[in-house]
Amino acid sequence: MRKKKSSRTVYAVALVLFLAGFGTLLMAGLKQNSIYFLNVSEALAMPPENIQQIRLFGTVAEEGLVYDPLHMGVQFLLEDSDDASQRIAVQYRGVVPDLFQPGAEVILEGGYLVQDRVFNAKTLMTKCPSKYEAENRSG
Amino acid sequence: MHIIPYFSLLAALILSLLAAAVCLHQAWEGRSRWLPWVENAQIVVCTLVTISSFFLLWAFYVKDFSLLYVSRYSDLTLPLFYRLTAFWAGQAGSMLFWAWLVVVCGTIFLFTKRYHLLGAQSRVFFWIFFLGVQSFFMYLLTGHQNPFLEISPAPLDGQGLNPLLQHPGMIIHPPTLFIGYAGFTIPACLALACWITGEKHSWIEIAHNWTLTAWIFLAAGIIIGGWWAYLELGWGGYWAWDPVENASLIPWLSSTAFLHTAIVGQGRKALGKTNVLLMVLTLVLCFMATYLVRSGVIDSLHAFGDGGVGNPLMFFMMFILVVTALVLFFGPARDDRPLSGLGSRQGLLVITAWIFMTVGVVVLLGTFWPVISKLWTENPMGLDAGFYNRVTLPLFVVVGALLVVCPWIQWRGGVRFGKGLAVLAGIWLALGVVLWINGIRLPMAVVGASAGLAMVASLILLFILDPSLRRRRTAWGAHGVHLGIALMFLGVAISGPYKVEVDAVLAPGESMVIQDFTVTYLEMETWSTPAMTVYAARLEIARDGQVIGELAPQRRVYRTWDRPHTKVDTRFSLGVELYATLLGFTQEDIISLRMSTQPLVNWIWIGCIIICVVGFFAVRTLKGRARDVDTEPDPATA
Repeated sequence: MRKKKSSRTVYAVALVLFLAGFGTLLMAGLKQNSIYFLNVSEALAMPPENIQQIRLFGTVAEEGLVYDPLHMGVQFLLEDSDDASQRIAVQYRGVVPDLFQPGAEVILEGGYLVQDRVFNAKTLMTKCPSKYEAENRSG
Repeated sequence: MHIIPYFSLLAALILSLLAAAVCLHQAWEGRSRWLPWVENAQIVVCTLVTISSFFLLWAFYVKDFSLLYVSRYSDLTLPLFYRLTAFWAGQAGSMLFWAWLVVVCGTIFLFTKRYHLLGAQSRVFFWIFFLGVQSFFMYLLTGHQNPFLEISPAPLDGQGLNPLLQHPGMIIHPPTLFIGYAGFTIPACLALACWITGEKHSWIEIAHNWTLTAWIFLAAGIIIGGWWAYLELGWGGYWAWDPVENASLIPWLSSTAFLHTAIVGQGRKALGKTNVLLMVLTLVLCFMATYLVRSGVIDSLHAFGDGGVGNPLMFFMMFILVVTALVLFFGPARDDRPLSGLGSRQGLLVITAWIFMTVGVVVLLGTFWPVISKLWTENPMGLDAGFYNRVTLPLFVVVGALLVVCPWIQWRGGVRFGKGLAVLAGIWLALGVVLWINGIRLPMAVVGASAGLAMVASLILLFILDPSLRRRRTAWGAHGVHLGIALMFLGVAISGPYKVEVDAVLAPGESMVIQDFTVTYLEMETWSTPAMTVYAARLEIARDGQVIGELAPQRRVYRTWDRPHTKVDTRFSLGVELYATLLGFTQEDIISLRMSTQPLVNWIWIGCIIICVVGFFAVRTLKGRARDVDTEPDPATA
């Protein structure tokens, strides 16, 4: 019986140490890698100075889409997926994905440029053309 | 006509519920007289669900667009192969496919020798749980997720299948995952049943081949998804920590933890409750994966819609967890043998399981963070890929280090082949130094990659020093899987941080340099097939002034799809793979090109193939059970 108890204590102490180390790691991660996940209307409701590094979800508007000749960048208006009247102007330099087009749902990462309320996207991703897409398109 | 498959499913639902009720009654009375009836009912259910499934396949075959599901996921021009595999292209169909696999697994299990080893009461309880899960599927398929809805009048042509999904990788990825998910149903139900009845045979042993097969399929499914993303999506990466990728990773992590505690718990000797809990948790996490993907709770790159299965799934997961808690708390008490010390093989296995569970918790937490953070902030906070890398990579590196050392530690503590281990430590250190000299200096990369290589060395040394290992098939299986893991370690540790990417805009005849490669853009080629128009940029690749080959990344415009499709081209190498993406081009044939180098990336796929093939060597036969006890406590080595 004594042996059982002592081995249990060792395991318990080891587990506590392990969790402590892991907890530190986790806290650092949560603190430094946490960013806002916002849709357009939520982003518009926030004070602009808070929009520095966020992930923004929305739909590409029909008008206002300007490609640069080599498709190495694009400017467009991003509208709220539920409320098309809420819009943010976006500029992006880099690879424009195949599925990018008016009406496409996109995910951006970046923040406002300081002087104007233009969202400077560092990454631009279109939602994956999943096998369940047909349902979304028709519905 | 469509009444037949629907009513087959309805009949299967009623019969499953009835049989479950009979089992409950029998269990209450402590009898098993009706067991043969229940087993026959299962066979009938299997036949009914099979009829429905074949009906759906047939409808795709004959292009019966009066079925809503068929008209949504196929059209007149879709080739036969993709028409048949469109079975699992949508939500209702993939639910039917999963359900069908579950039903078939249960029926196969019924005919195995291992099933007949179980005591009558354990069988009764097994069917209670299994029929419960089965009824849930039938309930979904006859209600929220009916794949046999009709449209009237029937359209002349269907809406067609997304061309990006017309790819072998995307065709095998979902069914592979579903086989994994379905396979875990048997061990989970067995675990609960045997815990209640105090079955004299170990459920871990009886379920071993099911657990192993499900685990291998789940692993294969996840990695095939990564391979497809790397080659077809043109992101240049294989893993993005997207919620949908995470969803399938979480049950894999918990099942991996289970595989390790199961070794300790074999024959019900220790960690009894832990094993039951981990197994059931794995099944629940499979449902959770579907919940994440289908309920729309998390916004993800993948545009899955809310298919109305969110609430039933959530309710069912809660139900399983409550039942499991009741079984474990109020079930009969078991005497667990005490574990040996932390430094023994047992101890290291337990630590390994802790780490896998911890990684699982991190991934789950990260995925749900936007939902969780709403508790204290108005605007949801999420975590970027950096979070997962920062938190999980150190944990994986510890797993790698354990994997190098663990096979050299004896079951109850102490080192075997001490000199061998000393040599191994030397090799490991030397590998680390070699990597350092070669410019691999990030701490995680150098430790991870050297651990991967040291694992390979460790396994080779072990097989040289221990002849008994070479004679046991299951040992080849278990260590083979770890060899595959070792190669994946190497691939991930190097290809992740040391990928180099260069973008350039080139006119014909111009060159760019990436590392020691020079890429010269020769010309643009264009040709058309009935299905598409292809624009390919011919690139000449030179290394140190020597021309070593050509690459031709393409952009394709499909006739039936209005958006262009990027087709990457790679120069296969076991060392540094060159990866070319054509981002765009102008009328004057000026291209914008992204070149990247992917060092050692192919070792990931090689490792995966080894895991999938060699893993099956660990399947156990009843005959060999007595002596084929691989990592089990072995008196000779303990």
